[in-house]
Parts: sequence; structure tokens; C-alpha cells
Amino acid sequence: MSIPWIIKYRPKRIEEVVGNEESKKKFIEWLESWVKGKPTYKATLLYGPAGVGKTSLVEAAARTYGYDLVELNASDQRGESIIKRIVGVAASQGTLMGSMSRRIILLDEVDGMSEEDKGGVKAIVEVLEKTRQPIVLTANDAWDPKLAPLRSVCLMLEFKRLKQWEVVKKLREICLREGIEVDKEALEFIAKRSEGDLRSAINDLQTVSQGRRRITIDDVKWLPYRNRIEPIFDVLSMIFNAKTVATARRALSLIDVDPDMMFEWIYENTPSQLTDPRDLAIAMENLAKADLFRSRVKLLQRWELLSFVTELMTGGVAVAKEATKSKWTPFHFPERIKFLSSIKSEREVMNSIASKIASRCLTSRRTALSDIIPYILFILRSNPDYGVKLLKSYDLTSSEIEFLLGKAGVASIEAPRKRSRST
Amino acid sequence: MSLYAKEYELWAEKYRPRTLDEMVNQKEIVERLKKFVETKTMPHCLFAGPPGTGKTTAAHCLAHDLFGENYRENFLELNASDERGIDVIRTTVKNFARSATLTEVPFKILVLDEADNLTADAQQALRRTMERYTDTCRFILSCNYSNRIIEPIQSRTAIFRFTPLSFEDTYAYLKRICNAERVQLTEDGAKAIYEVAEGDLRKAVNILQASASLGKPIVADVVYDVVGWVHPREVAEMMEYALKGDFTKSRMLLRMLLYQRGYAGSDIVKRMHSSVYELSISEKQKVDLINYLGEIDFRIAQGADEEVQISAFLARLALVGRGSG
Repeated sequence: MSIPWIIKYRPKRIEEVVGNEESKKKFIEWLESWVKGKPTYKATLLYGPAGVGKTSLVEAAARTYGYDLVELNASDQRGESIIKRIVGVAASQGTLMGSMSRRIILLDEVDGMSEEDKGGVKAIVEVLEKTRQPIVLTANDAWDPKLAPLRSVCLMLEFKRLKQWEVVKKLREICLREGIEVDKEALEFIAKRSEGDLRSAINDLQTVSQGRRRITIDDVKWLPYRNRIEPIFDVLSMIFNAKTVATARRALSLIDVDPDMMFEWIYENTPSQLTDPRDLAIAMENLAKADLFRSRVKLLQRWELLSFVTELMTGGVAVAKEATKSKWTPFHFPERIKFLSSIKSEREVMNSIASKIASRCLTSRRTALSDIIPYILFILRSNPDYGVKLLKSYDLTSSEIEFLLGKAGVASIEAPRKRSRST
Repeated sequence: MSLYAKEYELWAEKYRPRTLDEMVNQKEIVERLKKFVETKTMPHCLFAGPPGTGKTTAAHCLAHDLFGENYRENFLELNASDERGIDVIRTTVKNFARSATLTEVPFKILVLDEADNLTADAQQALRRTMERYTDTCRFILSCNYSNRIIEPIQSRTAIFRFTPLSFEDTYAYLKRICNAERVQLTEDGAKAIYEVAEGDLRKAVNILQASASLGKPIVADVVYDVVGWVHPREVAEMMEYALKGDFTKSRMLLRMLLYQRGYAGSDIVKRMHSSVYELSISEKQKVDLINYLGEIDFRIAQGADEEVQISAFLARLALVGRGSG
């Protein structure tokens, strides 16, 4: 369950890559020109929106044609010297090792190169001129002015949003492999929502199938709300992966959500994200401190002190993560909120009962709940007839008595009589 | 009051003393309170002591003896842990205290139970209210710990310290109930009850009544059966899960205890405290855990979130568990 499906079901062969048949064909022709030793272009630039199969195609093709893949993606540093060193070396060697060590150099998300990657584009162009290995660049926006020098030397291949039926088909395959029964409507709903982004569709599918063997339209209907939840996922993942307090704290500023709600999300997910006991103990203590400070802020109405709370609840969790091994674990909605709302009516009944008993026993509801009602339940269990009479003397309604009988594990002794009376 | 009252009532209520003369324990306190009745004057009072030692009962008996059978017209009892905020208390007090009494006693009595649950600020507000209505109203504050009551209130009240009941007093009281209810209680049964109740008479009587509902002589084993069912090992179980490293499961049990069973966080802390001694960990680790538990308890008293705080303790427990596991 812990492997993300987008990795588990990454295409292994070119035929498995969904959609964009025309560009795929051209890409293969280009790669074959390299195989034959007469490359038409030094490099291709695959461009198009996220999640339509650009990187997947490169990976599948490398595998099919027996190339090693040397990859530099957006999260790596890509300054001029680094590109020259890593890419340059990878691109020029190769033949020394014989034909066995053919490589495809993949530079992912070149439009994402920042100011810090200074001279990166220039370095790429230089490497392209000299390369003896095929180079693939990908970008979401190929028309970014800073990429102009690349456009003239690369084979430009556009990848479009996938069609709904293409997405549905792939999702259905995955469900089949996972042994999940799924309604057509539900799949179409997910596919439509993804707007041709297969990666997000697969993520959605995995999210809704957590702990389910069968997915209906009802299970996926809440997905649109993920527009609201998704930023929370992003913020959470930023927090749990931050290396500094500053980064973790900054994550909060990216989203407009009530800090108390954000606290719940972090508090809920901390145990599954920080699996090492020491990391967890430290993180939970920091959260507890954040909570304590939060209660002081509220008590004293000193809102300017709220930053201590937010720093502890973000940074305090982030930097606690030391020994925990990196592993993708899905985030989930705060269980406490779900739990409280699911037992809301039960709590109301219990409180009403406790109030009645407390006022007659000259004590608090709290004491009634912890020190009196448990004994009453025992009496109900061992002597239901007597227990019910006892409760009636405390002016409990019959539905409240029924409720306590249920708690005591006694089948209702009142119900049949009541029914015959009411009819 | 409904038809069933009296015959079907919790014994703790049915046999609760109505007058100061009926009170079996806290002899010195009772004597002092009787003086108030004789002179028909009294100061503000602070009743401090553990639960089930007669604080509330003494207040009722005092009012009964002062005002007579219909004492409730001149007597109001509030519970600080149930009322939402000091403002509610102030308004209620104002409405109650401003009308004069129709008896020969020139004041009314207001009891504020569990006053140590009020924050220091709320206690300050309460102090001012007490002063304003001193002419028409006497306050009896009850609390478990007098040191949780702010100095200015302590210095304005006569402090009465209630002590846990002795076994002899408890046994005598239980025997009286058993005779009236025609229930058989052995001495070892009574000892078992006392051992569990720890001087808390309400608890002792509740255990007695629950045991009696089984319809057989109350011996020690019967008592332990009752207590085992009423206070299952949920807290210990929660701690065991944490110690084994299953933090998530342990947090789920905590939620059940807090939200479904309605236990107060501080009560859970109290139970965890006594369970720490039973854990198979080093003595040093026990000290460390007790230290942390004390911190957690203090934070909860300061208004921090019960679940979050106790969770932090459970995470610490999981860490200890890995070391010794």
C-alpha cells in the first residue's frame, strides 16, 4: 500500500505509455536515428502540461532500447558548472565503454531552472553541440523566453492533455491489477476531474481506494473538495520535508487556512510521517508545547505571540525528523474531527444523562460520568429490572434508558412492552 | 420528584446525611459548623479535601440546620467545572444574592463546588463578587487542593480541611446501609471496598450498591469483579500499546476514553500515574515518565488540549518502550 501507484504503474514499455501517439512516434524515430548512428537532432524538447507522460516515455524508451538514463531534475542544482561537469562528462564518454553503455541524458523541467541555475541554458546549448549521446529535455512551457536558444537546436515535440477515455482505460487497468471493483461512473468522474493529467488521476484513484475493495460514485464525489485539501497536502509535505525551521514556517504562509485546522492536520499526520520513536516523541512534545502556547495566547489575548505557536507546530515537527527513513506515506484527514462528529449525538445523550444524575447527586457532570454512571451501568447489567427503576427515579427519558442499557450490554427489556403500548 | 424516588435511589443519595448530627466523620469540622448554626452567623468558608470526604454533604447539612427543611430556597449550589465561564457564575450569583432572605438568618448560602477548577483570573473576579455580596450571601467554596485557590480568597475564608475516611468510619457506614437494605457484607469485602475507594465514601457506597445488585453476599472477590468491570484496564491497555510502539492504536484508545467515555484528561493522567509503577521499565525511566506526566498534568490545568498533551506522553512512552523492548 505504501508504494505510490504512479510509481508502481509507471510504464515499462513504450506501448504502455498512454496517448500522444504522433509525438511518441516522432520521438522513437529520433531515438532510432541515434541507434543507427546518424542522429537527426542532438536533442529533443518534450513539452506540455504535467502528467501527460513526457518523462514516462523517456524512461520506457530507454529501457526498450537498452540505454542507461542519466537524470537531472528540478530538485537538483543545475548551475553552469554542474551541467558542464555532470552532463558534459556523461554526454561525451560513452563510446569508451563500448556500445554497452549508451546513455540518454534527461534534463527534466528545464523551464523550472531558476536564477540560481545561472548560465544553465547556455551550458546546455554548449553540451548539446558536443554531445555523443541523445539528450532529452522536458518543459511545461516551451515558450519561456529563456529557453529560446534551446528551441532552435532541439526537435520540438508537443504533448497534449490526455483524452478522457485514455485516462479511464489506464485507471481501469490499475483497478484490475489491484483487484478493486469500480463503477464506470466513478472512473469517468476521476478522469474528467484530472483534465488529462494521468498522474493526478492515478493519485486520486489511490486516495479514494484506501481501504476499499469497491469504489462507487459516492466515494469519489468528495474529490472536487480536494481542490481545497490538495494545497493542504502540499503544505504538509513541505513541512514534513523541510530541513530548516524557516522553510517549515514559510509553508504555512502559502495557504489560507485557520492555524487551528492546520494544527489538526499536522498533529494527525505526525505519527505516520515520523515513524522513528525518538523523532516522534520529540515532534509530539513540540506539538504539545505549541498547543500550550496556543492556549496561553488565547487566554491572554496576546495574538502577536502566535508566531511561537506556528513555528513550534511546523519547524518543531520538521526538524524532529532525523532517523525516520524517507518513505512515501499518504496524508489523511484529521481522524479526531471525524471521530468527534461521528459520536456527537452519543455525547449529547451522555451529557444530558450526566446532567440529570449530577444535579441529584450534588456533584459535577464530570464526576457523574467518571464515578457514578459506570456503577449504574454495572447495576443495569446485573439487575436490569432494578436498574431501570433506579434510572426512572432520576427522570431519565425512556430513550436515555435504552441508550444506557445498550452501553451496559443488555438487550432492551423495555422495547417490546413500549411497542405494544404505542400501537 | 418522580414516583420512584426514595425506594429506587442511589444509596449514596438515599443515605446521605441530612443534618450535621447525622454526619459520621470529620468530627471537628462538624463541631465548628454547629457553632455557626447556634450563633446564626458564619464567615465565607473554604472546604478543602479529596473527593467523597463530605464537603458537599457538610454544606447541605449546614444549610439544612440553619434554614430548616426548605433550606434550598436560601441555598444555591454551582459547579465550577460545569458552568461555562466566570461570567455565568457572576450573573447567577448576582441574581441569587441580591434578594434578601425571609428567614431569621440574614444571609443565603452559595456553594461553589470544584472551585479549584477556576483559573486564577476567574478566581479574582469571584473574589470581587464575594466582597460585593458579603451582606446578603455567604460563600462556601469547595476544592480538592486549597493551594490551587488564590491567596486573597484563602485569607478571606475560614478553611476547613476534610480528610479521607478511616476504614472504621467507612465500615460502620457501609454496615448501616447493609442492615437497612438487608445485604450481607463480609469484613474482607468491606476491606476490599475500602482499598479501592481510598477513603472516598461516595465511591465506597457506589461499589457496595453495584456489588449488591448481584444478589449474593459481598465478599472480596465480588468487589474485585465489580471494580474490574467498572474500571476496565483501558488506561493500562492504552499505555501498553504505546510501550509496544503502536502509537496510533494507543491514540485511538485515548480518543475513545476522552470522547466516548467522557473521562476528564486529568483523571486519565491520574490513572496513568498509578500505572507507571506497574510498567516493566527501569526505575530511572519511571522517574522520567512521572516528571513528564506532572508537566502534562500542569499544562492541562492551564487549559492546554487534553488529547494533544496526553498523546505527547504516549509518544514518550513509545520511545521508552523501544529502549527496554
